[in-house]
Amino acid sequence: MNGGDDADAPAAASLDRDDLTPEGQVALEALLFRLAADEFVHAERLTEWQIFAPTIESDLALANVAQDEFGHARLWYDLLRELGYSEEECIWRRAPDDWTHATLVERPFADDGWGDAVVRTYLYDVAERIRLEALVDTSYAPLADRVGKALAEEEYHREHALSWLERLASDDEARERLQAALDDLFPHALSLWYPGEHETEIRAAGLRRESLASMREEWLDTVVPTLEGYGLVVPEPDEIDRPAARGRDGSHTDAWVDLYEAFTATHREVDFDRPARLRGEEA
Amino acid sequence: MPTNMPTDVPGGSGGDAADDTDPPSDPEACTYTAYEDGEALVEYPETGADATGVEADVWAALSEVEDPEMPVGVVDLGLIYDVAVDEDGRCEIEMTLTYTGCPARDVITNDVRCAAETAPGVGSAEVRLRYSPEWTVAMVTDAGREALREFGLSV
Repeated sequence: MNGGDDADAPAAASLDRDDLTPEGQVALEALLFRLAADEFVHAERLTEWQIFAPTIESDLALANVAQDEFGHARLWYDLLRELGYSEEECIWRRAPDDWTHATLVERPFADDGWGDAVVRTYLYDVAERIRLEALVDTSYAPLADRVGKALAEEEYHREHALSWLERLASDDEARERLQAALDDLFPHALSLWYPGEHETEIRAAGLRRESLASMREEWLDTVVPTLEGYGLVVPEPDEIDRPAARGRDGSHTDAWVDLYEAFTATHREVDFDRPARLRGEEA
Repeated sequence: MPTNMPTDVPGGSGGDAADDTDPPSDPEACTYTAYEDGEALVEYPETGADATGVEADVWAALSEVEDPEMPVGVVDLGLIYDVAVDEDGRCEIEMTLTYTGCPARDVITNDVRCAAETAPGVGSAEVRLRYSPEWTVAMVTDAGREALREFGLSV
C-alpha cells in the first residue's frame, strides 16, 4: 500500500485481545482513544446546531450526522471497554488533557458560523474516510469487524457537506464566509494528521497500515483541488503557523476546557452512587 | 424514513445477487463456497431454523423480542447472527444493529439477553455486538418485510 516499513507486521485481523503484546495493547489503546475522541468531540460540537441550522432539513441532517459520529465513538469506546476501561474512564472522568482529539473538532462556532460547520464537516469527513480505509486490514480483529460499517455510514456525511459547499460557494458573500472559516480551521485540521506518542508501535503492530504522512497527502490531494474548484484559496499547508495546541499530545485550545466542562457537568452534578440500570439488568 | 433503515446502503439491496447470475469460472466450483479457507460462507439472515436442543429454545425465545421502535421481531429483522449454548448453560448471542448510532442499543441488547435467559437450560446469557457482515435490508426475512410493510415502510 505505501511500500511498507510494516511489512513484518501481523496479518489482517490476525490478533484478538489475548494475542496483544503489552506494547501492542498500549498502542491499540492510544489509537482507539484518538479515534473515539475525534468522533465524540466532533459530534458534541455538531449538536449545538440543533434548532439553529438554516433550514429544517439541514437541522435534521446535521443532527443525524452527529448521531452517526456518536455511534462511531461508541464503536471504538466499546473496544476500550473490552480492554478493561469503564465508560467513566473513557469519557466522563477522563482528564481534559488526556484527550487526544484533533483541535479542529473542539473549535467553537461563530454566531453566524454555518459556513464553519460546512467547511469543518467537509475537512473532517474526508479525513475520516481516509483513516477508516487505512484500518480495513488492521491486525486487530475486533477493530476490523467494525470498520466497514462506519465507512458505509460516512458516505452520506461527505455528500451533505459537498452539497452545502456547492450551494454556498455560488454566492459571493457566502463564499467569503466559507473562506474565513477555511482560513480559521485549516491549521487546526492539519492536527488530524499529527502523530501521537505511540505511532511507531501502531504501525509495527499492524494496527494501521498507512503512515499518517501518506494519509495526510491523500487528504490534501482530495480537499485542496475540491475547495479551489469552489473558488476558495487554501492556505499552503507547509507555510502556515502551527497552532500552539497540538491536540494529539493532549494540549488543546481554550475552547476545549469550556466544552469539556459543559458535557461532563451533568455527570458531575448528578453524582449517583450507582448508575441507573435498565429493567432486568443484574436481575 | 427512520434513520435506522438505510435502504440505500451501498451494496445493500441484494448483497450476493451477482453471485446468482455470474457463471462460476470453474464449472466444478460452487459460487457460495470460499475454497481458500475451506469453509462455506454462512448465509444471512440467521433464523435458527437448523438449531436443536437448548439453542432452538433460545431462538424461539428471541423470536418474541421486538424492535423497540417498530413492531417487528429482532430475528425477522436479521439482527441475530449466532446463538451458542455451552454444556454449563452459558449462552452467547452474537448480534448486530441496523446502524451504529442506534439509540435503542441498550434496550435491544438487554431485551435479547433477558429473553435468552428465559429459555429452559440457559443459566446465563451474554450479548456481543458484531458489525460484520454489515446489516442491510437484504437480511430481513419475508415475515419481517411483511411486518415492516404493514408498519408503513417500503421495503
